[in-house]
Amino acid sequence: MEPVESQTRSETASGSLPSDSAPVAAPAEPARVERRRKPRTWETPPAPVPPPHLDDYKKIVGAAEIDELRFLARDLKGKSLQMINSTAVGGGVAEMLNQMVPLLNEVEVNTRWAVITGGNDFFEVTKAFHNALQGGEYKLTQHARDIFLMNNEQNRQRIQFEEEFIVIHDPQPAPLVPARKESRQQWIWRCHIDLSNPNPEVWGFLRPFVEKYDAAIFSSQSFARQLPISQYLFYPCIDPLSEKNKEIDESFVAQTCEEFGIDRSRPIVTQVSRFDRAKDPVGVIQAFKQARKYVDCQLVMAGGGATDDPEGAAVLREVREVAGADRDIIVLDLPPWCALEINALQRASTVIVQKSVKEGFGLTVTEALWKGKPTIAGAVGGIPNQIVHKLTGMLVHSVDGCAYQIRYLLTHPEFARQLGQNGREHVKENFLMTTNVRRWLLLLRILLTRASHPPTV
Amino acid sequence: MTTAALLPTRTPASTKPFYFNTSAHLLRITRHKATSLAEFLEGLRHCEEASIFQHTFRTLQEHHFIREGFSNDFAQWALSACNEPSLAENLTSVDVREFTSVADLRNRCVQIVEEFLTHTPLAADRTVRETFYFCAADIVVIPTNYVARTLREFAEGLRGVSVHSIQHHFIEARLRLKLMSNDFSQWLHEDLGLTEAARQLNRIDIYTITLEDVKKQIIRIVERALV
Repeated sequence: MEPVESQTRSETASGSLPSDSAPVAAPAEPARVERRRKPRTWETPPAPVPPPHLDDYKKIVGAAEIDELRFLARDLKGKSLQMINSTAVGGGVAEMLNQMVPLLNEVEVNTRWAVITGGNDFFEVTKAFHNALQGGEYKLTQHARDIFLMNNEQNRQRIQFEEEFIVIHDPQPAPLVPARKESRQQWIWRCHIDLSNPNPEVWGFLRPFVEKYDAAIFSSQSFARQLPISQYLFYPCIDPLSEKNKEIDESFVAQTCEEFGIDRSRPIVTQVSRFDRAKDPVGVIQAFKQARKYVDCQLVMAGGGATDDPEGAAVLREVREVAGADRDIIVLDLPPWCALEINALQRASTVIVQKSVKEGFGLTVTEALWKGKPTIAGAVGGIPNQIVHKLTGMLVHSVDGCAYQIRYLLTHPEFARQLGQNGREHVKENFLMTTNVRRWLLLLRILLTRASHPPTV
Repeated sequence: MTTAALLPTRTPASTKPFYFNTSAHLLRITRHKATSLAEFLEGLRHCEEASIFQHTFRTLQEHHFIREGFSNDFAQWALSACNEPSLAENLTSVDVREFTSVADLRNRCVQIVEEFLTHTPLAADRTVRETFYFCAADIVVIPTNYVARTLREFAEGLRGVSVHSIQHHFIEARLRLKLMSNDFSQWLHEDLGLTEAARQLNRIDIYTITLEDVKKQIIRIVERALV
């Protein structure tokens, strides 16, 4: 993805941004920064940071929590596990496995990670399946079935399946399950996508494979299907030590706001998300405009996805049109490696909004809650798992509702502070990397117990 | 532990050690769900006991940091998804400490919803804003490294364990013990003869303070008993 030129103000939003990155003349209002400088990491993504160790999390979740993970892992010492997915880099699953695999090895669950291979035709089919399983229109052809099964068969012959636990991530490698050894090997299907309304043909094709697993894992109750195997709930999680979520110096927050032309002396309402209609960015601007009639504030719309996705570019154009010449609406199209800047923007915010109308789990909500910010979010997908209405955040169903909650939170700072505090604790208890280490260890122990004491019929 | 070393010398001892355990739970998605109060009542009647346990006892731990009156998932759903404040109020008033069996707890919840629907029959089939999914808790009990033979060791154990262990011994214990009590009070009373400390522990209100605060109050009571 190419980094995108900056725009912070109304004139850029209406499309008058110059094509080069030369400095722009000083603004008419000296107190406001007219243009932000180039992002800190302009040309290339920063080098990956080494994965953390369990003890690194002690200062965040406490020593007792980390001790418990080690107690939980005692009976699993020496057990082996293989994670299999379809990509080594990019995407949330690879990112999660990059962190999870070393942590499981640290507690002596011997874990390795394999990636399936395939040609372009295979990944075109899997992408189509992915969209169809999330409700998209698709006509399943015999040719697509053949490509899907043939590539899986090649991977079945290539990959060694010697471990006691095999975890298959997502639909792409699901047909590997016939590789199961006759021993007490346990196969787990970890589904990261929303299966609540799948294309019946594609789900009908995949379902017989899924039913051969010992257990399935979903990211939300609403994503699951009726299956004859046990289904568990693993919420997605954030890493509190990552660039996006770690504690940062106040000076960096101040510098970031200055560069982006954000006035920290006034309330800041922020939505961080891709420029995607499912995130209703236009609705956010409408809600902001309604709220601002009664309370002074600025809106920051920070996102990406407009350079490598034609629809994203169209949505960004719409957002800029709706923002018009409003000097208090700051639209930022950031490259994906601006995690520290996103972190700073979230920390600078008075209220964070995620007014999605369709959502997976909504990790941007998790990030906002983790930073102790009062958060307003659409009651869709996995968001109600994170936001207990009026206790850990505010759930909304409309533009008007969103506008009201912005006004309410900006005018009731003590309530907003308590919401933010509860939200952070909710994430600490349920949505951090360490919680997911605990879930994996628990699942392995439960499956081991079940295997040694199978239910009687 | 340094704080323990500063404490005075009275350290009642027991011949029966207290083993600090903790428990971890994994959420299992069950086949029951409700898109109306009528379906919710059916779910309440027929879901597995592990579901009732999850949405009452366990959810207290998942939301242990909330002081503002989070009671159980059923009450929260009645309010936020069904917009039925009187039903929510009655479900909120269900106090898990008054139950030593999940079956009795289920019966109480069923009774509340039945009574509400008897008086408000039109509410039964009204479509609600969000589906209620009955989940179940699969529990694994895990021993910790903490064992107490004296009151001082007991205080050290309390300081060292997580709130999950407090939940296990202090809140969920009554389902194991089948008593209106908890593991800590039982040990203090039966093995150390500290009846007053045991009684004080049993009076801590788990609904109006966080689990961290519950832990601190327990430690304070035990430290006072040491003096």
